[in-house]
Amino acid sequence: MVLPLKNFAVDSSRWKLVSNIIVLIIALWGVSKHQYSINKVSVFESFLIEAFAPIQRGTLSVKEKISYMVDHYVLIVNTSKVNEELKAEVEKLQGKIFTMSEVEKENERLKQLLDFGKEIPRKKVLAQIVSFDSSNEFKVLRINKGEKHGLKLLSPVITMTGLVGYVYRLTPNYADILTILDQNNRVDAIVTRTRSHGIVEGSSGFRAQLKHMNRTEKIEIEDEVITAGLGTIYPKGIKVGKISKIDKENYGITQDVEITPAVNFHKLEEVVVLLEEIEISKDDSKKESEKKVLK
Amino acid sequence: MKYSPIDILLGTLKTCLLLIFLEIFTTAFLPSIGIDNFKPAFSVLIVLFLAFKFEHPFLPFLILITQYVHAIFSIEGWAIGTLAGVLISLSLRYLKDLLDFSTAISTIIVVQIFQLVWFVVISVMLSIKLGTFASFFSIFWKYVPESFVLSILSPLFFILLNKFWKVGSDNSASGVSI
Repeated sequence: MVLPLKNFAVDSSRWKLVSNIIVLIIALWGVSKHQYSINKVSVFESFLIEAFAPIQRGTLSVKEKISYMVDHYVLIVNTSKVNEELKAEVEKLQGKIFTMSEVEKENERLKQLLDFGKEIPRKKVLAQIVSFDSSNEFKVLRINKGEKHGLKLLSPVITMTGLVGYVYRLTPNYADILTILDQNNRVDAIVTRTRSHGIVEGSSGFRAQLKHMNRTEKIEIEDEVITAGLGTIYPKGIKVGKISKIDKENYGITQDVEITPAVNFHKLEEVVVLLEEIEISKDDSKKESEKKVLK
Repeated sequence: MKYSPIDILLGTLKTCLLLIFLEIFTTAFLPSIGIDNFKPAFSVLIVLFLAFKFEHPFLPFLILITQYVHAIFSIEGWAIGTLAGVLISLSLRYLKDLLDFSTAISTIIVVQIFQLVWFVVISVMLSIKLGTFASFFSIFWKYVPESFVLSILSPLFFILLNKFWKVGSDNSASGVSI
């Protein structure tokens, strides 16, 4: 008896045609369903992301350990035998001091991050960057906090210097952030000096564009741009960046405005995810004001 | 070359593990050493290898699996890459006799040409999804610098993938020789 699998293995053009058609249909369905502004992951995708994200995170520490080994052990092989132990000890201590100073710097950064945005009445979750998107076309970051830590899809993400983006894809322990550098991310924004309104969209490189800016608006280079708070994603008043280039054509009703983001995405290590608004404080203040009225 | 289901399973597993390793290298290691603007699309190289050398009805599904693994590490998703991969593999059925992988140089040239075709398809699909063709060339040009590096690396990769898929182990298919 011939097994069907053996038949399948035979180089048959009929099977090739059928499988090509099936996969093309699946792919076309996938293209039509895929969204670049928000993505709900399946259980299987969630499992895979959860499985590989720790390895991505671990890669950084492995690289640091290798650098440490090379710097502190391999390169001292040729030193004098008499001083070998002593030097190794000194190197070790220097390594510890370096590690301590790195920890101190990290603590300082985290403290500043936590202190930042006290006026924003939202719960905050501190997260570290795990990896970046593997495609150059998309500006996405992966962080080490997820659904278990209270994150939700579309939760805004900031740092002490400004706006980073929002939660695009979520698993129990990790989340992907669609940054403001990505052209699929659109932020309602205003120029603080003139109160002119526009939409920030990612463009090529590490810059963004302020679109739909009326050409009669008298904006200038170095003007600060903040979130307008009109959409449902970002709260009002978070720094987005500064205007770095203005192009006015002889035609059209808008002007081309380029902004440099307030956040330095090259050096981004930690971020803060803003969760739902804190209701308790509002209730308390309401009760207090009611009491005052009654008195 | 005829493949048994076990050969296909093992080949798929090895290819996916290689892709996962390369994706982690691209998404975590390169940014950690300050290279955050250079992201070679290794998934494209793997799909092109399969399209060039893996003659089997399972090929489209293999492309789908490769792109699905890639989608774990990128919001690009699996669908557009699968579409591009299947379209290229279909076109290759008519061009196979013209392709030469006997030397490293010819492999580099063929891979470069088909990478450009791939990126045209991807740029068109992304532009359609984004609803504007204004950024078509900017999307396309972003892929080009990495594609040169991938083409140069392709002979070495093909040697490794030849071993995974046992290409060149019989007379019916020729592997890459440098």
